[in-house]
Amino acid sequence: MPTERLLPRLFLALLLAVLTLAAWQWQRGAPLSSDLMTLVPGATQDPLVQRAEQRMQEPLNRQILVLVGHADRQQALALAEHLAGQWQASGLFEKVQWSLQTDLQAVRAQLLQSRLAMLSASDRKQLTEQPDAFIEQRLQSLVDPFAGFSLVSSQDDWLGLSARIQASQPKPANVQLDIASGALVAEADGKHWVLLRARTLGNAFDLNLPLQVADLLAQGRQQADREGARLLAASGLLHAAAGQRQASREITWVGGGATVGILLLLLLAFRRWRALLAFLPVAIGMLFGSVACVALFGQMHVMTLVLGASLIGVAVDYPLHYLSKSWSLRPWHSWTALRLTLPGMTLSLATSCIGYLALAFTPFPALTQIAAFSAAGLLGAYLSAVCLLPALLQHMDLRPSAWPLHVAQALTDLRERLLRKVPGVVLLGLLLVFCVAGLWQLQSRNDIRQWISAPPQLLEHAQTVARITGYQPTSQFFLVRADDQNQLLDRLQTLDGKLDELVDLGKLKGYLSLGQLVTSAAGQRQVQHALLQLPAHWQPLLALGVPEHALQAELSQLQALAPLSIDDVLQGPLGEAWRPLWLGQDGHGVAAIVSLQGQADVALLRLQAQDLPGVQLIDRLGELNQLFTATQVSAAELKLLSCALILVVLMLPFGPRSALRIVALPLLAALCSLASLGWLGQPLTLFSLFGLLLVTAIGVDYAILMHERVGGSAVSLLGTLLAALTTWLSFGLLALSSTPAVSNFGLAVSLGLVFSFLLAPWAGASDGGHRQP
Amino acid sequence: MSLGLSRFLWTRPVWVWPCVVAALALLLASPRTFAFSLDDLQKQLSAPAVVTGAFVQEKHLRALPQPLTSQGRFVLARDHGLLWLLRTPLRQDYRITADGIARRDPGGWQTLPSQSAGAQQNRLFFAVLQGDSSGLQRDFDLALSGDAEHWQLRLTPRSLLLKQIFTRIEITGGRFVERIVLAETQGDSTVLLMQDSSGATALSDSERSDFAD
Repeated sequence: MPTERLLPRLFLALLLAVLTLAAWQWQRGAPLSSDLMTLVPGATQDPLVQRAEQRMQEPLNRQILVLVGHADRQQALALAEHLAGQWQASGLFEKVQWSLQTDLQAVRAQLLQSRLAMLSASDRKQLTEQPDAFIEQRLQSLVDPFAGFSLVSSQDDWLGLSARIQASQPKPANVQLDIASGALVAEADGKHWVLLRARTLGNAFDLNLPLQVADLLAQGRQQADREGARLLAASGLLHAAAGQRQASREITWVGGGATVGILLLLLLAFRRWRALLAFLPVAIGMLFGSVACVALFGQMHVMTLVLGASLIGVAVDYPLHYLSKSWSLRPWHSWTALRLTLPGMTLSLATSCIGYLALAFTPFPALTQIAAFSAAGLLGAYLSAVCLLPALLQHMDLRPSAWPLHVAQALTDLRERLLRKVPGVVLLGLLLVFCVAGLWQLQSRNDIRQWISAPPQLLEHAQTVARITGYQPTSQFFLVRADDQNQLLDRLQTLDGKLDELVDLGKLKGYLSLGQLVTSAAGQRQVQHALLQLPAHWQPLLALGVPEHALQAELSQLQALAPLSIDDVLQGPLGEAWRPLWLGQDGHGVAAIVSLQGQADVALLRLQAQDLPGVQLIDRLGELNQLFTATQVSAAELKLLSCALILVVLMLPFGPRSALRIVALPLLAALCSLASLGWLGQPLTLFSLFGLLLVTAIGVDYAILMHERVGGSAVSLLGTLLAALTTWLSFGLLALSSTPAVSNFGLAVSLGLVFSFLLAPWAGASDGGHRQP
Repeated sequence: MSLGLSRFLWTRPVWVWPCVVAALALLLASPRTFAFSLDDLQKQLSAPAVVTGAFVQEKHLRALPQPLTSQGRFVLARDHGLLWLLRTPLRQDYRITADGIARRDPGGWQTLPSQSAGAQQNRLFFAVLQGDSSGLQRDFDLALSGDAEHWQLRLTPRSLLLKQIFTRIEITGGRFVERIVLAETQGDSTVLLMQDSSGATALSDSERSDFAD
């Protein structure tokens, strides 16, 4: 027969092409990503907000903050120095810093040059409103041996503006400078903690970098343990590393477990080594899925791989369709069996694809990826099962074990006996009661944290680092826009005032704003103006011995000082901490970020920023969580839509009545599994809902098998049982994942599959008396 | 997290004078073997439990022919700390104890927020008071010359950071410390003259109450 020779050849050519594409895709390393943010929807299309978000994310993904703690300060310092040297030599980092060796000359120059631009708001106020007090304080600081050491010599700063700027620099809460070594040291829990900061060369989501950094940290920790020291670290890199390790572990479990289980099942049921070839479509499906995913998205997220591994159980269903015909078709012949089951398989492909592709229309890139991976994977598995596998299985003398059929027959008999005793309507009623009571207990919960399963130790360390250093970055921040720098600095100053209120009330730990660093050009002119009144008040300085001509000279120097822009101030060494906040000029004006420290009540932040022009609170995580909830509704709509679509597809071969019945069964199964989640006390998440979307598609498959009854109801039930077992094996393993989102998805699908299998026999046309809702 | 160095070199209470005071205290403690050793100096200076006297602080600036001068009295108590009573050109009392640096205002002693290097220096100061000179020797090279009647101790900073701020500290004296010179890198210097010092075995009642509350 020509088609039987042509099909395998055509398929082999296709396979070769896909393999070539895969080789090309992988030639520059694995196109895998573990960046969680690529999985969640871009909340905004505003390029400025996106840029600001990137700016805020960047340090989290590239910096690592380490505390080296020891009861003995010198030992802690020595270990930090040693560690810094080791890390610098590793070649992973752009910069490893444990000690500050700043060029003080540059700081002096900036302090002198920015005397007008950097004077703090309260100092400006005192200068303007209480010039006597201003002079009095200067006198005190000149003679007070403990008042401090000013970087700029008094003779260059008679009026003390540089000294005031130096004094008003925000001070890190808990860290102190160790003057001998230049290290930053905090004291807590009876230990001295030396701060070590490192910045990686590459992106945190390069596949190997986080693992290498985590290994380096582990080595350092071993060394610290030997010396009686403690090492605490906080970094997005470590989370990425933990996520990757976990993903690869779970891919191994889910993929490996499902593979072993399915192979065993194939061997037990069909008793032929060659039957193991039925696994080939699975491998080809995985190949097609990953190639399509990389082709469409440029890369594949590790979470897609974990969820995609569950596809194994679905893909193996296609060969099972015709292999299971060996119980009724004697002698079994591969092409004949295929021809018998082809319509069912094709329908099953169509419905499964509709189910998966429905996921693609949610606003979640994560699900779009999974949908694309799965649809392409199923197509690959289907094509290989239809075109290639029958050729490979030709002339196989398939004599399956009899016991699976006995089991299926027993199950069918059991069902019939049950139906004789209890009418179907009563069963349906009981089922509905079960559903209503379960749904009553169901609780909905959505949080981005379900996507992450950080090891508790990692979280604990990060919290301790935050407690010891007082440095607590948050993902919330303000974006402030204006037409020009003057307006921007005015707006920032207003916002700063509002935030100060929160800080005073203890509702906010702190914030960093360009308004704290730079005064607007108008403000600088006001300072110049206020300085002109000082000669009437500076008698006490003259009494101390400061020559009047020196004061006059300084005054005229200050009057001649050119106003500084934001860029000017940021260039200097004192601007370092603020540099990331400045977004600069674009077509619409200028913009800056105000970053926050410590968790604050979003509603309170929003309230403070209300009615401030140009001020926008960016709370990405909060928005995401809201979006999750909103998406739940649209997911439910999608589900109904996909059912309608499946209904249309099924109406062609089966007619409206049967089609309705075939679609209603999986819907009822989905309802039952929702109720079971309620009974089990498991929350309904976006993921369980997506899982149920899938259940509908797969459940339809079982209903079709049972409806068609190729080879009698027991044989059909056996086919369904095998298909359900393999699928259940892979999704059931997902439920064991330690990522709440993945495990939720696995649980929902597993439950749905159980109910789909239990309900599938009612799809048979002969049970006419029993109607489904 | 960006932490510029300058954010730590803020003013109050900064460490230069506490360093000097710590150096003084060192003389009460550290045993060394020179011809006239730190050990000898320590014995000489630690004889009285309390030293009181007058001080004159002169700030020599390159641009000024005359130094800026301030005056007052001091009380250095081995077991308590230091009282620094500034009298001209303004009246202001300071106290350095284990709790930190305090300034007296009409409401009593106000401990100044001990931030940054200040707290560390206070700790250093008291470590030295108790005879532990290791901290000071880590930050400075110490050189003692002269004899019991006329000695000079020179402290040279070791760390790069300190070197950018001052070049050396020189302490001279006889029975008591007489003169401390702090030479800054930029050419200015501060001279502290401690005159009419006298030893006592105990604090007076008013001094005791100054340390008490």
